[in-house]
Amino acid sequence: MTEIATVSSGLVAPRRILKPRRASYWRAVGRRLLRDRVTMVCLGILAVMALAMIFAPLLGLYDPLQGSMIRRLKPVGTPGHILGTDELGRDMLTRLIYGGRLSWFVGITPVAIAFVVGGALGITAGYAGGRINMAIMRITDVFYAFPSVLLAVAISGALGPGIGNAIIAMTMVFIPMMIRISESVTTSTRNLDYVEAARSTGASALTVVRVHVLPNVLGSIFVYATTLVSVSMILASGLSFIGLGVKPPEPEWGLMLNTLRTAIYTQPLLATLPGLGIFVTSLCFNMASDGLRAAMDVRA
Amino acid sequence: MKNPILTLCGLGRRDEYFKGRATNRRSKKSILVSAVILGAGLLASAPLHAQTLRVGMTTSDVPTTGGIPDNGSEGGRFAGYPIFDALVNWDFTKTDQISDLTPGLATEWHIDPNDHKRWIFTLREGVRFHDGTAFKADDVIWNFDRHLNEAAPHFDKAQARSYRTYTSMVEKYEKIDDTHVALYTRVPFSMLPYLISRVFMVSPTQYAKIGNWQDFQKAPAGTGPFKVEKVTPRTSIELVRNDDYWDKTRVPKLKRLVLMPIPDANTRLAALRSGQVDWVEYPAPDSIPGLKASGFQIVTKPYPHVWAWHANNSDASPISDRRVRLALNYGLDRKSLVEMLGGTAIPARGPWPDSYKYFGRPSENYTYNPDKARALLKEAGYGPGGKTLKLKVQVPTAGSGNMVPLPMAEFVQQSYKELGIETEYTVVDWGTMLNTMRQRPDRPGAPHLDVVNHGLPISDPTQFFLNFHGSSAPPNGSNWSLYKNPKVDALLDKAFESFEPKERDELIAQAHALVVDDAPWVFVVHDLNPRALSPKVKGFKQAQSWYQDFTQVTVDE
Amino acid sequence: MLLYTLRRILYAVPIALAVSLVCFMLVHIAPGDPIDAILPPDASAETVALVRKDYGLDKPLPVQFGLWLAHVVQGDFGRSIANRRLVADELVSAASKTFILATTAASLGFVIGCILGGLAGAFRGTLIDRAAVSFAVGGVSVPHYWLGMVLVIIFSVTLGWLPSMSAGPGDWAWDWLHIRHLILPAITLSVIPAGLVTRTVRGVVVEILSQDFMTTLRGKGLRRLMLTVHVMKNAAPTALAVMGLQLGYLMGGSILVETVFAWPGTGMMLNQAIFQRDIPVLQGTTLVLAMIFVALNLLVDLIQTALDPRMRRT
Repeated sequence: MTEIATVSSGLVAPRRILKPRRASYWRAVGRRLLRDRVTMVCLGILAVMALAMIFAPLLGLYDPLQGSMIRRLKPVGTPGHILGTDELGRDMLTRLIYGGRLSWFVGITPVAIAFVVGGALGITAGYAGGRINMAIMRITDVFYAFPSVLLAVAISGALGPGIGNAIIAMTMVFIPMMIRISESVTTSTRNLDYVEAARSTGASALTVVRVHVLPNVLGSIFVYATTLVSVSMILASGLSFIGLGVKPPEPEWGLMLNTLRTAIYTQPLLATLPGLGIFVTSLCFNMASDGLRAAMDVRA
Repeated sequence: MKNPILTLCGLGRRDEYFKGRATNRRSKKSILVSAVILGAGLLASAPLHAQTLRVGMTTSDVPTTGGIPDNGSEGGRFAGYPIFDALVNWDFTKTDQISDLTPGLATEWHIDPNDHKRWIFTLREGVRFHDGTAFKADDVIWNFDRHLNEAAPHFDKAQARSYRTYTSMVEKYEKIDDTHVALYTRVPFSMLPYLISRVFMVSPTQYAKIGNWQDFQKAPAGTGPFKVEKVTPRTSIELVRNDDYWDKTRVPKLKRLVLMPIPDANTRLAALRSGQVDWVEYPAPDSIPGLKASGFQIVTKPYPHVWAWHANNSDASPISDRRVRLALNYGLDRKSLVEMLGGTAIPARGPWPDSYKYFGRPSENYTYNPDKARALLKEAGYGPGGKTLKLKVQVPTAGSGNMVPLPMAEFVQQSYKELGIETEYTVVDWGTMLNTMRQRPDRPGAPHLDVVNHGLPISDPTQFFLNFHGSSAPPNGSNWSLYKNPKVDALLDKAFESFEPKERDELIAQAHALVVDDAPWVFVVHDLNPRALSPKVKGFKQAQSWYQDFTQVTVDE
Repeated sequence: MLLYTLRRILYAVPIALAVSLVCFMLVHIAPGDPIDAILPPDASAETVALVRKDYGLDKPLPVQFGLWLAHVVQGDFGRSIANRRLVADELVSAASKTFILATTAASLGFVIGCILGGLAGAFRGTLIDRAAVSFAVGGVSVPHYWLGMVLVIIFSVTLGWLPSMSAGPGDWAWDWLHIRHLILPAITLSVIPAGLVTRTVRGVVVEILSQDFMTTLRGKGLRRLMLTVHVMKNAAPTALAVMGLQLGYLMGGSILVETVFAWPGTGMMLNQAIFQRDIPVLQGTTLVLAMIFVALNLLVDLIQTALDPRMRRT
């Protein structure tokens, strides 16, 4: 799952962004994005989902944990329960929205942490070069030597089930990936003439990084991170699906998918809804990050 | 209807007999028609699974097949009685009452009138193990050595421990002559036959040939109605008919019996619906209406089972306060839970169902009464104005008798939330839970647990003893709760010393009533043992027991 | 070339060592006393003492690692806590089942991906292209455990064409009786590599088609499809590299699909091990799968370099 990002961005990332970027560049990117209908639709869907999750308590929904035995497994389209009810009679729409909160949280947090930590380490390695680069990159290689799903499962399996452990495990998977990409981008930036020039004027490393390197590399590291979100969502829900990760009764898409599996013959549509939630989110993140990459790709 | 001979022949009730015939005739006719229409090609390809019954079990792995089955009672059901016999077996023929014992490899047994600790068993003659060797008195001694004699070369160190609960009452044993053995109990114990009904006899010759218990499991030899043909770990156990079975009425009609572990309820269901198995244990309650509509047979029967919260009665736990336990018992809406389970269970008021002769006359009657529960909690210092009651609960993911543990646990959690109780669940594999329960909850270094959520058999008074007698705390028995009431202990001791059935039953009922009132557990529901069978499976008569008989089953082509 | 190969192989050695160190640490990040992670809780005092001594659990960590490694190198991964069987025995049968599933899925993904990617690249901008790209994005975005459930409902339960679980009776054989069981899980698992290969191949094809020499070739009147064949030859090394890595990922990442289909491979073993807190099995399985991954990485690298010497990595 994680390899999606590795391969697709790995082929493109180091090649572009070799020019200093100014405000006009970002305006152009924005304009290109606005013209890209597919990306805008995806971003729109994601925005609607995000808003619904943030303002869930204000939407007049049901209690996500409070069930009722009389109204169990009502089909999609039941008056009052537009998406039906689950195996304990809890409103499905409510559970899906609250479940999305947790799924998104567990999906995005590891990538965010990896973005900061991995990005910092990668830029350090790339800019400093030499022994520091060696040390950081060889350790990265070790974690790269594990298939990503296996690494996540093994770490969270050893630590035991729980949200915290799942996030730790997934962060461990994403940090090496972020390091690799940011190191390679930074290395190629560092060797650009004007950066060399800035270094030779005796500016401090921090200044050079802040003024010349960061503006150049952050964009592509960010795009790479957005491609990881989709992977991370699937992986996070997958961990909950097999019983690692979120514990009942908290609503979470992967866990909901698991507990609703027994109803799959009586209410197939209902039982597949949480999976659809994961699918749509992951698809939109993927398409949006593709769009973003295309918009930022100077050659395009 | 109760004609024993008819029942023995698997014919049971008259109307069923005729119904069976009618179906047979119809199916024969339809085969004939198909044959005419489609020609011989179809017939040639059809009988691929002729007379094979494929069963989807709920266990996470194949039960061990060396005569000490793990995976609880389900292990005994599939890798126990079909392959082996004990001195005393379970009677599957009287399906209208809770199953009791029947002669197995012993034809008769009695207590020594001069010594109430000495039992004499008369052995069945002419029985042969699957490896062809004859069953003798020496083999009984050898098999007890396997369980109890640590000095014996074939002592089964790895597995004997898990059957200690059944064997620890036996102090010593001796061969009297070629057809008689004596077993000595530590104390006078009238229930011994129940305990040793789990001690299966395996062939010493086969063991000598193989040399260790680990490999013995791949090719075991017992005396049961089926022989082990192949064991594939995590995948299947394949059994074939033992044509030489000593009980001629129970020589299997099936040629083969294939047992597959499918712990996931949904996978089990898909396997049944797509025709990969003909029979599944415990179909998920939500799937039952659909299965019935598609023509599958759903069989249910009451049996001595209870799905309960085993409360940690040691001082470290808030649940050691009886008022808290009563509150938990009154604060649970069991009727709604039964509804959620699609009627595959009945509400529990005690370890045994109230229809059972041992129920007794308890003074507490656990109907749903949230007000009473709140009052009891308040009295114990919990609730508004007091502390919040927080409980750590271990829940299994699956396992024999655990029904659908996760949704049920979620239901219970929700009910208690309304009472202001916070429950924290740790979800574990069932095997892990059994390990937890084999040790005292108060042993140093044990992670703190207030409750273990477990569905289990209390199939006879010895099981009751092992769960509620003060001396049955782990590792001696299954009393993980560390429940101890001297009155209960005294009643049970007296009952087990009594060789007078009437008096004995009354004493046990009194003990049961006391346990109900003390509520060492939260009694939730009694399972009705549902299983789903393909329409092709015929002749299965579900016994009111944890164990079932597969010898009378046939599978239509 | 020989020098490069040697260097590459030598470089894999420290990686393999470090990987086993990570696996070794799994026991130590598990909460509680490591001895509890290795032995069942009701193990006798003498067994505890024996194992403690054997694995040197009272000694400093580096010594323990050495002792553990010595066991592992001899193929001794210890015994399962849950069923007391040798982990190594279990691993052999499980890993071979997973290998069957992963290779089938990877090959399937490769074929589908090459066809779709080639078509998409050749007919860039048309409806075919858009359909193929949508498939690719869908393939990498779909939660495959969910897809597996949907396939079971359609093909096993509703249509009754294919079995829904297990790898068939007894030992594996390449006959219809067993292959039937392989189809659904392999398809489910193949959507990820199929999506990835589609994307990769499309990208490569588009790039090659836009190069000057292609314009020349086109000028010579070569037909589009013929061109594509020519292009595929150029795209093959990249696609193969993606596939080789994918095979490793699939071997390690099939846990979810194996759970859905009750496929008796390493994934199911891992799943059970986690809930039985069976750390020796967890550790052994992780180690073996990671080692296979390291080896595959190495192999892909060497083959790729042999095909195209410009692609050397250190």
